[in-house]
Amino acid sequence: MKERAEVVVIGGGINGSAIAYELAKRGKEVVVVERKWLAYGATGRCGAGIRQQWSTKENALLAKKSVEIFEKLEEELGHEIGLRQGGYLIAIHDEEDMKQAKKNVEMQRSIGLPVRIIGEDEIKEIAPILDPKGMEAIAATFCPTDGHANPFKTTYAYAMAAQKMGAEFYKFTEVQDIKVEDGKVKKVITDKGEIETKWVVNAAGAWSSKISKMVGLEIPNKPVRKEAMVTEPVKRTFDCMVISFKHGIYFSQQDEGQILGGIPSPEEKVGYYTQPTFSFLRHMAYTLGKYAPPLKHVRILRQWTGFYDVTPDALPILGETDIEGFIQCNGFSGHGFMIAPMTAKLLAQLICGEKLDMDIERLNMSRFEGEIVEEKSVVG
Amino acid sequence: MRIEEHPVLEFERGKEIYFYYNGKKMKAYEGETIAAALHANGITKFSESTKFHRPRGFFCGIGKCSSCLMKVDGVPNVRTCITLVKEGMVVEDNDGELPDGEVQEAKTVEMEVDIAIVGGGAAGLSAAIEASPYASVVVIDENPRPGGQLIKQTHKFFGSKEERAGTRGIEIARLLREEASKKCNILLNTSVIGYYDRGHHFLVAVNRMENVVYEIKARKIIFATGAQENMLVFEGNDLPGIYGAGGVQTLMNVYGVKPGKKGLIVGAGNVGLILAYQLKQAGVDVVAIIEAMPKIGGYMVHAAKVRRCGVPIYTKHSIKRAYGSERVEGATIVELDENWNYVEGSEQDVECDFICLAVGLTPSVRLVAQTGAEITYINEAGGWIALHNEYMETTKEGIYVAGDLANIEEASVAMLEGKIAGLHAAHSIAPVENFDEKMRAYMENLKIFREGVFGARPKMAKEKIRERYHEKMGKGRSG
Ligand SMILES: Cc1cc2nc3c(=O)[nH]c(=O)nc-3n(C[C@H](O)[C@H](O)[C@H](O)COP(=O)(O)OP(=O)(O)OC[C@H]3O[C@@H](n4cnc5c(N)ncnc54)[C@H](O)[C@@H]3O)c2cc1C
Ligand SMILES: Cc1cc2nc3c(=O)[nH]c(=O)nc-3n(C[C@H](O)[C@H](O)[C@H](O)COP(=O)(O)OP(=O)(O)OC[C@H]3O[C@@H](n4cnc5c(N)ncnc54)[C@H](O)[C@@H]3O)c2cc1C
Repeated sequence: MKERAEVVVIGGGINGSAIAYELAKRGKEVVVVERKWLAYGATGRCGAGIRQQWSTKENALLAKKSVEIFEKLEEELGHEIGLRQGGYLIAIHDEEDMKQAKKNVEMQRSIGLPVRIIGEDEIKEIAPILDPKGMEAIAATFCPTDGHANPFKTTYAYAMAAQKMGAEFYKFTEVQDIKVEDGKVKKVITDKGEIETKWVVNAAGAWSSKISKMVGLEIPNKPVRKEAMVTEPVKRTFDCMVISFKHGIYFSQQDEGQILGGIPSPEEKVGYYTQPTFSFLRHMAYTLGKYAPPLKHVRILRQWTGFYDVTPDALPILGETDIEGFIQCNGFSGHGFMIAPMTAKLLAQLICGEKLDMDIERLNMSRFEGEIVEEKSVVG
Repeated sequence: MRIEEHPVLEFERGKEIYFYYNGKKMKAYEGETIAAALHANGITKFSESTKFHRPRGFFCGIGKCSSCLMKVDGVPNVRTCITLVKEGMVVEDNDGELPDGEVQEAKTVEMEVDIAIVGGGAAGLSAAIEASPYASVVVIDENPRPGGQLIKQTHKFFGSKEERAGTRGIEIARLLREEASKKCNILLNTSVIGYYDRGHHFLVAVNRMENVVYEIKARKIIFATGAQENMLVFEGNDLPGIYGAGGVQTLMNVYGVKPGKKGLIVGAGNVGLILAYQLKQAGVDVVAIIEAMPKIGGYMVHAAKVRRCGVPIYTKHSIKRAYGSERVEGATIVELDENWNYVEGSEQDVECDFICLAVGLTPSVRLVAQTGAEITYINEAGGWIALHNEYMETTKEGIYVAGDLANIEEASVAMLEGKIAGLHAAHSIAPVENFDEKMRAYMENLKIFREGVFGARPKMAKEKIRERYHEKMGKGRSG
């Protein structure tokens, strides 16, 4: 283990790995410290959907810029990431929904996203497996450039490219403390040794508030157990991710044919709970059968849990803090995978003192001192 | 491909029926699995790999490996090795296409028992017999008949007299089955698919034939899910005609169907040796047994028997590749030096139409892992193991393990461990008369059994398991 590094990134999820890459690319000496293995956290348990249809402009822009990166990422990193752009189909259930959808679509189109509102007929055209009646949908919004990527492949692609440029990854290594001197980050203490550094990036997902406490900072993030499931593979019949804000469901069909998705569990609670529940399975199976009746014939193979790292406004916490050199990169709630490419780039620019491609002042920790503008388009 | 005459077994074949395979009408007998019926009709390719469309046949024969998935009566991904064939059944290549038609709603049955036992092999049935005089018990097994590995063992068993040494495995299975079914409820064709902690122990099980979901609340659970066979890495190891030894035994000794004409066996432990002998009994030729170790691993009695049948055993040999287009047509075997490297120029082609891998078992630990009981890797025990104490209780209160799941050993041990777990579980619900005396006797038997030459490895494994259990429990019970 190195005794000294310019930047220490805590967490080997998609965000930690992507930041390591962006920093290494800029010539920084960077190490990643991961308690378990790459993608052990939310990253390896997520739906890995990539959606640009958000209600707040920050999220929509972060996602859009990320998609632009995702589209060229295989080439850039030299590894497969399993990107497929089959679109996101978001159910509109009633007039109230329709009002919000129209507002969202207007903002989304204003930043150049090819989103449109579609009727029941077109829902069936895009995904014949869907039953708008069962979905209780009167219409939907659809953005064809949304999609998903393979979270394992993407994380490894970033990590391998980062390593090629000199970044080091310390797996099975836990950060236990961070030493601060004169209001500045000084040293990261792990169970395998100490690393002196000027910069620490807190990309520890649902454990970020614990890492923050090590430097004496409180963040409002809460871990919430989320459940997901995957079925056996069946013939590929639809390409889009289907979601509903009202029912909280999301599901898509993976390249090999499995259906992967989730829904809020009836037994949802805050805290580090890891046991899956049977009520989730029943609720998910029932709702899936309503949305796509032929899926009633499909057997579920596995279920698992992961944590959303939830903030009060469902927006991430990014950027500098009162402790010099301590950078937050967490609070991604249910959508930290899809915006990781852009987030990583921006934070690397920040650390390297470059001009940022996009203003992220509003995502700073300090926003919780003022009035909160909540992200409404959340699922799962 | 059917065995018509057998020195030990008599096959009670059911009614003659007909089914369709890719449009062709074929004969079968009621009570046999689709996989067995297909084999009897000379069909060995069941599915294709998803990416490169390589042909696949079945490997394990007990519903674990997923290489036998086919479309049955319009439903894709059916495990044909544990699904019984029926009159007029339509069996096709698995295209993953979903059926139209409505789905019959599953019936939910809620149950509350003192002790739920997962797995009806030697361990599970013994636990049930032991516990049922004192507690309400249900045994759940996903196979069409209980008995686990025993239902295909035609040889006479070693072990202690009390655990029925000298009796054939199939006979032990029958005795256990008869006794258990008199005393408690046995659910067959029913897979336990999940454990959930709801403040109490909760199991979900599914009978896929009758479309019933069981939701079982239990005060104690004994997991006796056995083990699954190991795969070996070599070129062509996924060709149809490459089986786990147990898979071949199921086919041959349970359903009376030959796996092929001429086989190669990899592994000269007891399983490999016994299998060679059983194949000869069934009238199937065995070209050789090869073994990577310099020494035969199994009992000498078995090895001598095999040699008497004219089957050569090559130690310090391994398999380099299997070849064939749609199924195994032969294999290249090779000699190994002291460092386990191939000896150059020692390659030999052997002609065979099937290959059996008898290279060890791995405990089927996934279900018990869901309980949150501490799982640790212990090489001597066969892999990942749920830590447990001398009463077979894991680090999670009320969760027990027994048999091959708790360490790869033998049927006598499985039965004893089942009894110990059953007795302790019952006793911890309501005190059992003469508990100490009974328990002492079982433990004593176990100890004696492990004193033998072949007891050294399992003994070491058990010591490690206990040690780590107590280390862990020193820090307090989980859950
Ligand atoms: C069920 C589910 C579905 C989801 N679906 C989507 C989706 O469709 N689209 C989407 O964009 N997002 C989705 N998300 C959210 C997304 O998964 C996360 O926002 C994202 O993966 C966060 O990545 P990360 O790298 O920031 O954190 P993580 O992947 O959680 O990584 C944090 C890492 O930090 C490590 N760590 C923690 N403490 C320490 C320590 N002290 N020392 C060293 N290392 C430490 C952990 O081991 C972990 O590996 C979903 C999440 C879940 C749970
Ligand atoms: C070729 C061979 C020769 C052997 N020779 C001898 C010998 O001479 N002497 C000797 O003492 N031992 C011998 N053994 C070993 C002996 O057969 C095993 O140790 C013993 O059968 C283990 O019993 P068990 O109950 O632990 O597991 P198993 O017999 O494997 O039973 C496990 C049961 O659990 C069921 N199950 C698993 N998962 C689920 C689930 N999720 N839901 C429902 N049911 C489930 C399975 O269907 C199975 O019926 C031999 C084994 C083999 C393979």
